[in-house]
Amino acid sequence: MIEYNETERRMVLKLVYYGPALSGKTTNLLQLHEQLARQGRGELMVLDTTGDRTIYFDLLPFFLTAPSGLKIKVKVYTVPGQVCHDATRKAVLQRADGIAFIADSNPGEAQSNFASFDNLERNLVLVGLDIDSTPLVIQFNKRDLPDAVPEQELRNIWGPTGIPVVMASAINGAGVPETFETLAGLVYDRIDARFRLLAEHGLERERFLRQLTTLSEEEA
Amino acid sequence: MTGGERLDYVVGEEKNLRELLLDSDVLPLLRGALKAGAGCARLLDEEGDELWGATAPEGRGALLARIPLLLEGEPVARLELHGETGLKERLQPVAALLCVALDTVLKNNLKRVLTTEIHTSVVNSSHEELLRINAELSKSEARYRELAENLEARVKERTAELRRAQARMLQQEKMAAVGQLAAGVAHEINNPLGFITSNLHTLQKYVARFCVMLQFYRDHLDLDLPRQIIMAEADQKWRELKLTQVVADVGDLMSQSLTGAERVTRIVADLKGFSHVDEAGESPVDLNQELERTLGVLSHLLSGRAELVKELQPLPTVTCQGQLPGQIFLNLIQNALTHAGEAPRITLSSCFDGERIRISIADNGKGIPSPLRSQIFEPFFTTLPVGSGTGMGLAVAWEGVLKLGGTIAVADAPGGGADFIITIPVRKE
Repeated sequence: MIEYNETERRMVLKLVYYGPALSGKTTNLLQLHEQLARQGRGELMVLDTTGDRTIYFDLLPFFLTAPSGLKIKVKVYTVPGQVCHDATRKAVLQRADGIAFIADSNPGEAQSNFASFDNLERNLVLVGLDIDSTPLVIQFNKRDLPDAVPEQELRNIWGPTGIPVVMASAINGAGVPETFETLAGLVYDRIDARFRLLAEHGLERERFLRQLTTLSEEEA
Repeated sequence: MTGGERLDYVVGEEKNLRELLLDSDVLPLLRGALKAGAGCARLLDEEGDELWGATAPEGRGALLARIPLLLEGEPVARLELHGETGLKERLQPVAALLCVALDTVLKNNLKRVLTTEIHTSVVNSSHEELLRINAELSKSEARYRELAENLEARVKERTAELRRAQARMLQQEKMAAVGQLAAGVAHEINNPLGFITSNLHTLQKYVARFCVMLQFYRDHLDLDLPRQIIMAEADQKWRELKLTQVVADVGDLMSQSLTGAERVTRIVADLKGFSHVDEAGESPVDLNQELERTLGVLSHLLSGRAELVKELQPLPTVTCQGQLPGQIFLNLIQNALTHAGEAPRITLSSCFDGERIRISIADNGKGIPSPLRSQIFEPFFTTLPVGSGTGMGLAVAWEGVLKLGGTIAVADAPGGGADFIITIPVRKE
């Protein structure tokens, strides 16, 4: 559902961080904001919260320009994870171009992961998106937990689906840029052919990803 | 989302600067720069067109500072500050400060707009959801209402069916009672008929002997024998034929047979009266007479087996179908006989108080426990073992009394037993 305006030479991409409550979606955005270069990255917009829980969404915008002059805005959203905010989740999920599902590695949260993924599948149908063609990355967060579900077990489960799985510890920043980069890569692959990003706008995959994910220390 | 006049909010749609900043947000800040000594402060878009601007009356001066303004990381405008070249050192920090202030206002406004968008979107979708739920509930309510209405109709239908079945059962019971009655009456008629036939057989033999005797006289009279001899031979013959005993017996036989025939006549008359076969429609009926007739057709059950006490006072006539009272009394007396004690005693009484006829049929049985009193008139209710009673007798009586426009109730008879009391109002003609 890419917003593309040929006369204004603008494109807006929407990436959504989905997942169960307290799985670390906002922490992912905070870390992206922290770690990625100031160049082209907007300010993190954290809408009002209640007791540190997201009730609307968070928004981290990126801006880059292709060699052709095409302006590309990438907006990364989080949804509220709590079950009661389903209407908000649906609203944020509309027109998503890619989804990062942030799962909790705590074995006690397996049921919440499942319920949230089920909720994602249903809401995708409701907002008219096809889960098979929408770029999707799964991040298993909180790898730092001592009793985290073993990585091999998770890979055995998710490997056969073909969905990329990234292990992360968002609170320490580990795996956060990788998740974002994997998702951005999938989105590039999905839209390149249709919008001729490389052929017409001279925007290589490498360049697209580098502009989005240059770390602060690399910049310096 | 479809909706005619409703705004269709999409969260996070691209905004331009004009949508996010108001004159009242920007102009005071730009004028503030003028107060700080600037000649001109303005915001230009990417094409270089002025969006907002403030210029001092003394003139603009030279361009001293140009700072880009970012929206979500994208450069969307630039701030330009002009003034006297000598004030450059002072005005450049003012420009930086101005840019921070504009950036803050912009960020807060964007945040507010986003919050409003998401809030509106959620409220709208919640509202739509509520409308949908409401529509579904209304639909299911309508379905249940329809179901309930149908249920009522079905219950009515079944009730009517049940009533029809009950009426059929009552009719059958009446027919069965008639059958029983017929059997009893047949027995009653058979008795006298039996001895009448037997007597006639005997009389036939007697008549044959009389004929022999008469023939003897006729033969001897022709012979012209001496009277002595004839007398002797006749006496001889008389003795042979045992005519002395025969003559003595004939009178009894004849009167017995006549009595029997009269009994049959009476029974037939009772039965005819009881059944009112000769009458169609309604006619005036004396209930005392109907009671007597009923006792008459039940005589085979009563005579010698039950003590009957009758306390009947004269009653006005009641206009009704002739066989109705008999049907009522028959069932009540049969019921009394069934439930009376070891030495059955049935007390029948009738009286008229000027407005109502009151007829009571009481037995000396065990009586009816009060919890059962509301049920005994229901069809199929019986205290008898299965197969012994149909439970329809009292229901037939109840229905009959209802047709007479009266009521029937049960009370304790004096000295124990059940007392069925029929009350029938008499219309003054």
